Amino acid sequence: MIAVGAGTAGRKSRRAAGRRPKPMQVQFRTIVSPHQLNSRWGRRIYWLVLVSVVLLFTLAFVFPLYWMVTGAMKTPDEIAEMPPTPVPQDPTLDNFAEAWDLFDLGTLLVNTAYYAFGAWLFSMVVDVSAAYALSKLRPMFGNVILGAMLATLMIPPMVILIPLYVTIVDLGLLNNPWGLWFPAAANGFNIFLLKRFFDSIPRELIEAAQIDGAGPVRTLWSVVLPVSRPILGVVSIFTIVTAFKDFVLPLLVMTDSEKMPISVGLSQTAGAVTQNQVMGGLVIAGIPMIIVFFVFQRHIMAGLTAGSIKG
Amino acid sequence: MRRSTGLLLVTALGLSATACGSGESPQPAASGGAANVSITVACQPAKTAPNDRKAWDEDVAAFMKAHPGVTVKSTDQQPCFDPKTFGPKLAGGQMETVFVVPMTNYDDVIAQGQALDITQYTGSVKNWNDLRADHRELLTKDGKVYGVPNVHYSVGLVYNRALFTKAGLDPNTPPKTWAEVREAAKKIAGLGAGYVGYGEYSGGNTGGWHFTQALYGRGGSVLTDDGKKAAFNSPEGKAVLQTLHDMRWVDNSMGSKLLVGWESLMMAMGSGKVGMMLGAPDVVTDVVTKFKGNVDDYGITGFPEAKASLSGGEAYMINPKATPEQAKAGMEWIDFRFNTVGKGRFDFARGKAIGNPVGVPDNAVYGDSPTGKALQEERVKNASLPVENYQTYVDAAAIVPPKAEPPHAQELYAILDVPMSGVLSRKDASVDELLANAETKANAMLAAKG
Amino acid sequence: MRILRRNLTAYGFLCVALFCFTVFAWYPMVREFVLSFQRTDLINPPEWVGLDNFKAAVADPAFGEAWLNTLEFTALALLCGYAVPFVVALVLNELRHARAYLRFVVYLPVMLPPIVAVLLFRWFYDPGPGLFNQILDFLHLPPLAWLDSSSTALISLVIVSTWMNMGSATLIYLAALQNIPPELYEAAELDGAGIFKRIRHVTIPQTRLILLLMLMLQIVATMQVFIEPYMLTGGGPENATVSVVYLMYQFAFSQMNYGQAGALGMMLMLALLVFAAFQLRTTREDQA
Repeated sequence: MIAVGAGTAGRKSRRAAGRRPKPMQVQFRTIVSPHQLNSRWGRRIYWLVLVSVVLLFTLAFVFPLYWMVTGAMKTPDEIAEMPPTPVPQDPTLDNFAEAWDLFDLGTLLVNTAYYAFGAWLFSMVVDVSAAYALSKLRPMFGNVILGAMLATLMIPPMVILIPLYVTIVDLGLLNNPWGLWFPAAANGFNIFLLKRFFDSIPRELIEAAQIDGAGPVRTLWSVVLPVSRPILGVVSIFTIVTAFKDFVLPLLVMTDSEKMPISVGLSQTAGAVTQNQVMGGLVIAGIPMIIVFFVFQRHIMAGLTAGSIKG
Repeated sequence: MRRSTGLLLVTALGLSATACGSGESPQPAASGGAANVSITVACQPAKTAPNDRKAWDEDVAAFMKAHPGVTVKSTDQQPCFDPKTFGPKLAGGQMETVFVVPMTNYDDVIAQGQALDITQYTGSVKNWNDLRADHRELLTKDGKVYGVPNVHYSVGLVYNRALFTKAGLDPNTPPKTWAEVREAAKKIAGLGAGYVGYGEYSGGNTGGWHFTQALYGRGGSVLTDDGKKAAFNSPEGKAVLQTLHDMRWVDNSMGSKLLVGWESLMMAMGSGKVGMMLGAPDVVTDVVTKFKGNVDDYGITGFPEAKASLSGGEAYMINPKATPEQAKAGMEWIDFRFNTVGKGRFDFARGKAIGNPVGVPDNAVYGDSPTGKALQEERVKNASLPVENYQTYVDAAAIVPPKAEPPHAQELYAILDVPMSGVLSRKDASVDELLANAETKANAMLAAKG
Repeated sequence: MRILRRNLTAYGFLCVALFCFTVFAWYPMVREFVLSFQRTDLINPPEWVGLDNFKAAVADPAFGEAWLNTLEFTALALLCGYAVPFVVALVLNELRHARAYLRFVVYLPVMLPPIVAVLLFRWFYDPGPGLFNQILDFLHLPPLAWLDSSSTALISLVIVSTWMNMGSATLIYLAALQNIPPELYEAAELDGAGIFKRIRHVTIPQTRLILLLMLMLQIVATMQVFIEPYMLTGGGPENATVSVVYLMYQFAFSQMNYGQAGALGMMLMLALLVFAAFQLRTTREDQA
């Protein structure tokens, strides 16, 4: 479903030796034919496009982050300078420390991690068992329930924000992590992905376990889960990333400044501190997810296309 | 078969529902005798203002020592009255026992039953009768009292004395007319890139609020006397917008950035690059304590050509769900921290020691009552600033008649944000058209509200 | 008996999920309906007010502007957030080098919490020392007002939104493109089709389903725009960036009128449902 090893194309081409311009490695056929690509002009245009795309992408997606990090290393005077200095004249890490104190980033990060981890644990338990029940135990009205769960995907979350919030207030879950964890677990997409994967597990595997006398819990734990690692990974990462990035619901639910996650905390204090301190706060807030991306890049990119229909 | 499954479904749901029910945190029981009572109080200074925060924490400790059995927990949400979270907090049982409400919101809060009737507790505030009568009146409905006035001010012109000097202006003779304001603003903006002569809001309801301040100053009104029709589409209203438009686009003395929300202009003022803004003396205090402005740099004078002045302020109120013990303890806290000469916020000696701008006449809540005079004496005695810097404001404030906010202030301010952002963001903006449109919208809103 | 036991176990596994969905997904939809006919401030008992909330919502000074802005935002976001990623994916798919790097950086902003992206761009948009005007100045171009003019504010919001969201769409298209059987291109080439013809007759038909799906997701997502106006413009200048959801938020949390917010939410839900039904029909006809 996803292109594996797309990144290896370049590496392979380097291996081709010879004085002649080495032919462009074609791993899969695309719009431009290999023949055109390897013609004299084809090559020139190709390299031109490649260089401009790389430059453009770097400018569009990496440079803003560079500006954020260097902005955080400038003094209040330097950051307001016109024209700006491309490199901080006297780089300082003080702003990070100041931002850490002013935004109370320690508390915010701990809160965020706690909410994200809780959302992950709770969603996994709830959604995996629900998907398992719908896929393997096949109860009556199972399809109706699945349909109703999937139907929630059609209703965008912002549309029911107010009644959801009112419900949370009624249940007394303001400033309570469960006010975030319960709604997080009601995720039709997770259940859909998990159920679809469970459906593909061969019947014989389950039946063999049942013959050995395993109950449904044992079957789930020692047969289904071990073979479902890839999808569990994907669902886990997306649940954690979503919880970390979430803004609007926590803005309403976590009003106590001691309990805010980082997104809400930043938005509340950003107006009252200097620009370089804001940047310091943003850098620190951005780092955890960037690290997650570095580590789990493959899973994230795989998960992105896991739910999409085969084109 | 089918029926039993349905039944199971119901049971399962019921089970999980009860499981959740037990997860609800129980309301703190107000038992254990009158001796042990726990209250939460709003408005602890933020961590961004460490000195003030420390002073607050000391006060909390001193109060708890003086009132054994009372536990005080502070919250530091900023701003400490946030309309976004006010209703939800109250409904969700998260509201502090003691909370602050700005004058703009008195009517709504009282009408919606969101504040406790504290008539029987007013005795806890020892100087109750010295608090301004006209302000207490705003907090009284049908003979019942709903709040303790905490801050009272009228609007003036806050200016940066250091920038005046730098631009070759005399900081001791601040502008008295709008023509002089324009001149001064031009000179300050001429200091270089990034300098703003005159700062003004244009969004987040602050634009409409400052429009109202300027309109009142020129003698205009937002609504007709019966409050049924808009009255701001007037020569005074046009003059306000035209002056701003000309300062922004002809003189280029207002910078090019739109300021949305209270903090934006305060932040700019604190950075020391804004020459003047409309504001009450509390602006000076806030700029210094919360936005790192330099204490000596700020002055305030009377509103230019003032015919009336929008009065503003805030009051402390008590959570309607508070128990009598909590209400009493809350009132004692209000008395201790906010209404005792030489203690809490009126401990000017401490204020001076931690670098607050003592000497700013930032609170007229006691007017010229005996308590008010005692306060002024303390303030002058501990002044960290030349009090003469504020004399022009004090003199003006004594003469200019105060004028209250219009009803439905927040809705009107939202509508008035539009013409304010219009003249400040478009060179070709038509003042007449903007005001006429706003008038239509305001009249429709007023008609809908009845 | 065995069937009963199987069902019992199954519902045992399902019960917590059913609870979560019932209380936090299905019930709020019903609640929205109820809410929209009530006056409630969450403190006093709600009272039935008939259609008053709908009337008040429609009569609000910003109601018309909010819908127009939301539609305009959606249209602009389709241009930027829908067309651009597809073109980018087409180009990326042709490249044989630096693929891993390009895919990595295009997805990088998606990983940032939206609040970080939004606050970062707030600084970039600063008319004075902000990055964008400084770049314009460097290129000897006149500065723009960005967020501070009613003519550029909305497009400025679209830029932020595209920057932080386009990564996922790009990668999804890229995956779809890689699934196109190469024989189709070869056949088209033999028929003498040029590059653009190949895109039109092979690429687009082959990715049609995913294109339609993404179109729907994109529209539903952009119709809900909130965080950008909330953080960047406060709906201004001159109401140019008030979106429907932003207005809904204002009704609820600035005017404390949850019923009126619910009424507006109902209208948005209806609009989206009508759109979804329409979309579904065209997709069906398409497949038939």
